[in-house]
Amino acid sequence: MFQFLPYLLKGFWGHRARAMLTVSGTAVALFVFCFVSAVQDGLLRLTQDKQAQRTLVVFQENRFCPTSSRLPQDYTKHIAELPSVTEVIPIKVVTNNCRASLDAIVFQGMPAEKLRSSRELNLTAGNWSAFEGADDGALVGQAVANRRNLSVGQKFTINEVTVLVTGIFQSSTTAEENLIYTHLDFLQRARGQNSVGTVTQMEVHLLDDADVDSVAAAIDTHYRGGPVATTTRTKGMFQADTLADLAELIGFIHYLGYACVGLVLALVATTTVMSVQDRIKEHGVLQTIGLRPNRIFRLIVSESTLLSTAGGLLGIGAGLVFLSFTGLAVAAEGVTISFRPSMDLAITGAIVSVVVGVLAGIIPGIQAARTKIVTALRQAG
Amino acid sequence: MTLVQVKNVTKQYANGEETITPLNEVNLEVHQGDFLSLMGASGSGKSTLLNMIAGIDEVTSGEILVEGTDITKLSRGKLADWRASHVGYIFQTHNLIPVLTAYENVEMPLLLLKMSAAERRKRVEIALEAVNLTDRATHYPRQMSGGQEQRVGIARAIVASPTLVVADEPTGNLDDETTEQILELLQRVNNELGMTLLMVTHDIEASEIAKRQIRLERGKLTERQAGSAKSTVTAA
Ligand SMILES: Nc1ncnc2c1ncn2[C@@H]1O[C@H](COP(=O)(O)OP(=O)(O)O)[C@@H](O)[C@H]1O
Ligand SMILES: [Mg+2]
Repeated sequence: MFQFLPYLLKGFWGHRARAMLTVSGTAVALFVFCFVSAVQDGLLRLTQDKQAQRTLVVFQENRFCPTSSRLPQDYTKHIAELPSVTEVIPIKVVTNNCRASLDAIVFQGMPAEKLRSSRELNLTAGNWSAFEGADDGALVGQAVANRRNLSVGQKFTINEVTVLVTGIFQSSTTAEENLIYTHLDFLQRARGQNSVGTVTQMEVHLLDDADVDSVAAAIDTHYRGGPVATTTRTKGMFQADTLADLAELIGFIHYLGYACVGLVLALVATTTVMSVQDRIKEHGVLQTIGLRPNRIFRLIVSESTLLSTAGGLLGIGAGLVFLSFTGLAVAAEGVTISFRPSMDLAITGAIVSVVVGVLAGIIPGIQAARTKIVTALRQAG
Repeated sequence: MTLVQVKNVTKQYANGEETITPLNEVNLEVHQGDFLSLMGASGSGKSTLLNMIAGIDEVTSGEILVEGTDITKLSRGKLADWRASHVGYIFQTHNLIPVLTAYENVEMPLLLLKMSAAERRKRVEIALEAVNLTDRATHYPRQMSGGQEQRVGIARAIVASPTLVVADEPTGNLDDETTEQILELLQRVNNELGMTLLMVTHDIEASEIAKRQIRLERGKLTERQAGSAKSTVTAA
């Protein structure tokens, strides 16, 4: 088969305008496909993460935006004594935008030692002791740092909260990379916050064999009478509930992903049909020389597959580069979904473009292989 | 030695209500080293006969034996393999692949045969030399004259040393001078390379260079015997 590769490639070169248009069309479609898939992946990761299903989040009842949830910090003491509870982390959340936004900044303040024990942060710049040593120190997620162009030593102000960047981190939980961690008491005292003694939410870690639902129920029952009633859910549920509106939207845009695949199929098939129609006579000549009909078929399928794969790889590559450099994320009410490039995404995209290329070539390929030689040779051109 | 035996071959086309029968129970024998010209009025069925012998058109009935193989019984795939190693086809309009150079066009048939790259290279060079186009090897069809293109077409037809070379009005599109060159070349292919040639032409002068001259009229073949009157070609 490979001996005909020069013929294929020179064929593309001979019709380079057409080949380039097809490749770029495919690239754009796969770029979008990549993007849509990344958004969905982000949502899935958030709600289906194992850890998120075994961790509880206590929030003020009937509140959604972090600014409106105020739990007394001393709730931690009682909750910590409940059976199966291993750790309770009081967290103060501050965000500059409670509505869905592509550039929301979310601060999470928690005691430094709890941050260290409960999160697996991999510092790519700065260090822990600098963070622990600075009252206004902040560890900034890689995605935020990329988006806002932040580096260690810089001061950064949002909503009257000014922090000193003491570290930039990566995390295996991609959504984390959209957060900025600070000290709890710093955030409670920050200008405009005035919330010493209260926190936004509590994160409750449980034993592996704990009955998650009954612990949640026990917390809510205990505080039903006040002073502040709570709603306790798994972290996954909490995030899913918070992002419900967005999730619906995201569920809808996966049709966009299918549409992209359909688009590429139509585009590559059209190009292939045109290219086959242009070369009916040429295929007749090739068959006269002795190429078997099924070799003609394979040549045409290879042609469409090469085009769509080239376009696909370009589009996926561009998509992955774009996603990794922009650190794009959508946030609502303090919870963020990150769009991150991944190997899975790259592989899915590559498979999609190869499969679509093969499919696009089948019908024109069969047509060309079935045309009678004498009929083909009588064609003009 | 008998190379090709056309036995009782009939070709019919259904054209609406009526049936056209360009070839009616035709018989012909071609011997190793022959150079045949096939003449006849336009639409008499010359190309049809040539194409059936070359294995690119189907007979309605009858047999075509080439070196003992009845090619009318081969499947499409097998027939393609058979053409690759047995037939060189020279078209009226050269039909070179426009995106390939002269060298690559000539090399094309060899890509289908088992041989080393070095052997392939040698054969392409010999074929290009035979048509006197060694210096045009890297040129594309659009960079060559009609006569040069046709010479590349001839090189492509002979490169695999086929059992039989067929040519369908190879000079039909050329001016007188170029026609002369091409005919001379075909004669050399027959004389010097010893290849068996079957050429369709409507040009009497062209037909004269052939060793045997066949006419196709009203579905039947007649052969002009050297220096004598016409007589019907009969089956062996
Ligand atoms: N596919 C076809 N369908 C119907 N008639 C055909 C077809 N191909 C050829 N013919 C007819 O068969 C006859 C012989 O054609 P052809 O062999 O091309 O003639 P020549 O080469 O002698 O000019 C012509 O009358 C032509 O119209
Ligand atoms: Mg003809």
